[in-house]
Amino acid sequence: MKDLAAVSGQTGGPESSLQPLEPAAPKADIHRGQASRRKFPATFCLPFFFGLMFLLTWQLEGFHRLFRLEHYQLPIPSAIAAAILDNAPMLWSYSLYTGSEILGGCLAGSLLGLIAAAAASFVPRAGRGAITLMASLNAIPIVALAPVMNNWFGDGVASKMAIVSVMTMATMAVSAFKGLRSIEPPYLELMSSYAAGKLQTFAKLRFRSALPAVFTALKINMSTSIIGAIVGEFFISSRGLGFLLSDQIKLANMPLAWSCIVIAAVMGIILYYAVQLAERLAIPWHAAHRRR
Amino acid sequence: MLSDEAVPSTEIAVERISMVFGKKDHEVEALRDVSFEIYKNEFVSLLGPSGCGKSTLLRLMADLLEPTSGRITIGQEHPREMRLRRKFGIVFQNPTLFEWRTVKDNIELPLEVFGIKKSEYSKISDQLLEMVGLTPFKHHYPWQLSGGMQQRVAIARALSLDPPILFMDEPFSALDEFTKEKLQLDLLEIKKKTNKTIVFVTHSIPEAVFLSDRVIVLSSHPGRVHSILNMDREEGSPSLVRQSGLFHEMTAAVRKCFYKESDSLDGQMV
Amino acid sequence: MTGRWSRGWSGGAVVALWMVLLLALWEGAAWYIANVAQVTAPASKLPYPHLVLGTLREHFRPLLEQGAITFGNSITGFVIGSAVGCALAVVMSLSRTVEHTLSPYMVASQMVPIIGLAPIVYGIVHDAALSRVLMAGYVTFFPVTINTLRGLQSVKQEQLELMRSYAANTWALYTKLKLKAALPGLFAGLKLSGPLAITASIIVELMGAPDGVGVLMISSLYYGTSQVYMFWSTVLVSVAIGLVLFLLISLAERLITPWQPEFRANGGEPR
Repeated sequence: MKDLAAVSGQTGGPESSLQPLEPAAPKADIHRGQASRRKFPATFCLPFFFGLMFLLTWQLEGFHRLFRLEHYQLPIPSAIAAAILDNAPMLWSYSLYTGSEILGGCLAGSLLGLIAAAAASFVPRAGRGAITLMASLNAIPIVALAPVMNNWFGDGVASKMAIVSVMTMATMAVSAFKGLRSIEPPYLELMSSYAAGKLQTFAKLRFRSALPAVFTALKINMSTSIIGAIVGEFFISSRGLGFLLSDQIKLANMPLAWSCIVIAAVMGIILYYAVQLAERLAIPWHAAHRRR
Repeated sequence: MLSDEAVPSTEIAVERISMVFGKKDHEVEALRDVSFEIYKNEFVSLLGPSGCGKSTLLRLMADLLEPTSGRITIGQEHPREMRLRRKFGIVFQNPTLFEWRTVKDNIELPLEVFGIKKSEYSKISDQLLEMVGLTPFKHHYPWQLSGGMQQRVAIARALSLDPPILFMDEPFSALDEFTKEKLQLDLLEIKKKTNKTIVFVTHSIPEAVFLSDRVIVLSSHPGRVHSILNMDREEGSPSLVRQSGLFHEMTAAVRKCFYKESDSLDGQMV
Repeated sequence: MTGRWSRGWSGGAVVALWMVLLLALWEGAAWYIANVAQVTAPASKLPYPHLVLGTLREHFRPLLEQGAITFGNSITGFVIGSAVGCALAVVMSLSRTVEHTLSPYMVASQMVPIIGLAPIVYGIVHDAALSRVLMAGYVTFFPVTINTLRGLQSVKQEQLELMRSYAANTWALYTKLKLKAALPGLFAGLKLSGPLAITASIIVELMGAPDGVGVLMISSLYYGTSQVYMFWSTVLVSVAIGLVLFLLISLAERLITPWQPEFRANGGEPR
């Protein structure tokens, strides 16, 4: 049987492979015999071990020798860790500040994109064109938005949220529209045979089968949002991780600058897996989560 | 049964239907000048090789397609009118179940769309679950069921609004032979209980002969009515019917249509 | 059913129509800000689009030249990043161990704000063109890897068994089946990362490269409101560059993978 999910979720995004802890449905890899048998230690220990090796190489100046780098260009992990510990209270409050921009902007932007996709799916002929045009929002360099948004919304949280919203809107609109429109014909015929109206078809069929695509877009948007918020702060802010990052680069205080990057990365991973958890709760029927 | 009634009343009238797909340069003629009638409470099979337009014909009756020319009426009404009044249910070759709904929720889908109260439709779906023998599985998701069970759910779903007509588009052709025979018997049982008018598309001669009151044989390229055969159905246990002489006679009669046809086709193809 | 109606229409006309509509809306909003809302320095909030287009025409040559530099560097990085991404996807599909080992770090790598990396990369290589190429490549590889990997893994069991029945070796399995099956995914990834590559280049330019459209952008910012039309022109140019790249990828997709359902004449409608 062809699942709806397989059809609607076919646009890209971090999905199948990036669920290291989950035994998925039997995968297609007979050419490797029993390779699909996933073991918990293998899926968890290997990345952990790899990361440890990476950190060790870095700490022992392996990368510095390889690329002829100096400590002021690339600080070693222990220096970064020390910088994080020394500035923990400030980093914490800045993380909350930046985090609120990320979450607020990402949710607002994704919601707007979803609404746009839903509206476009009702008038597909005109809607398709509008979505294509919206996709071009992705081509706007974030940095160009920063001064404009500063003009419009001031230098508070709102301007960065606006930047993040604009950046996330298009991805959601494109992905959700594709999910809403790529329904297999027999399902539509079925709804048609019940004389279901457009609204009913939307609520009972299209929206549900678009959910995997929506979550895929949400995952992509999480990482975009972090970049957007930090770049936004880079140009218009006196607080937040992005502000601190640009400030410390100017002061050539690389360990603290790198702490911002590390914290942003950790934040991103947490948010990514939070979305993944939400996805599992919201669409338990989705093929990617099935255990047989 | 049909023979008991003096004058069978017409349920579906197909009049001079033609259907052409595609645009100017790539026209494909799917159906040419097709006419027949289907009577009330009758089990009719549309039988033919692939490409004979039998599925198209079914979709035209169900108002999922518009004919290029000709007219279809269901009980003197346009199919659209009947669709809007939810006067028929459909079963496709694939179960077409919603994977985010449990078995029970899937069966209730048409009732929800129709706007029936939840308190009422729960009772209806429970009865249907009982009828197709899936009560123990009512909280399962579709992917937890076998292909045959999924198709039972699809049949129950098609019956949930209790429509007078049931359209079935090769519903058993994706199933294994054993499941298929079981479901065929079940379908006859359902037919006996509910007395629906059933239009059944198939490419299996024994299936058409076993199930139907009449078989409409279609020829292909373009699809036309080759002949309409009356299956003088025997009374008695359906499982015995398969071994009866009449069954073989009828199967042979139907098969003859195709042999004649394929001979002439061979001639054309050279 | 409604899908049928949207296919036959030429999509380009609809997009153009929306573009005109959008410009009209912009013009209206600018007029509103300037004349009704009584904002100080309305042009800095939202300038009239016709004035921006006028500036764009006036400075067309330098804008085009700088845009071409940005575009060239981005494309180089984009191609390198895509190649790396594809290779990574193939390696990950060959070995689940590699896949599991790398996956979490690939997610993490995407969370590193590139703006933070840009000055570091520039400080290390001290070459504007090279750092643009590197940054463009960096943002490109992840979407390409993920989507290609999904494509490689989307191969149906029956198709694999078929290849197995031919006793196909891994090379044949990939060239005849898996890589072909991964092409739609690859293009989905390319379409995502194309505009990103442009953005990355421009960010590097803003961090102090000698040339490129980003340099024009930042210099027009520093000269205050008088340069506001120039600023918006540079924004339009960067959007245009991103669109050109996107359209090129879409064209390539149509030519290379004509079998995809969305390119079929009937769009997968029932027969």
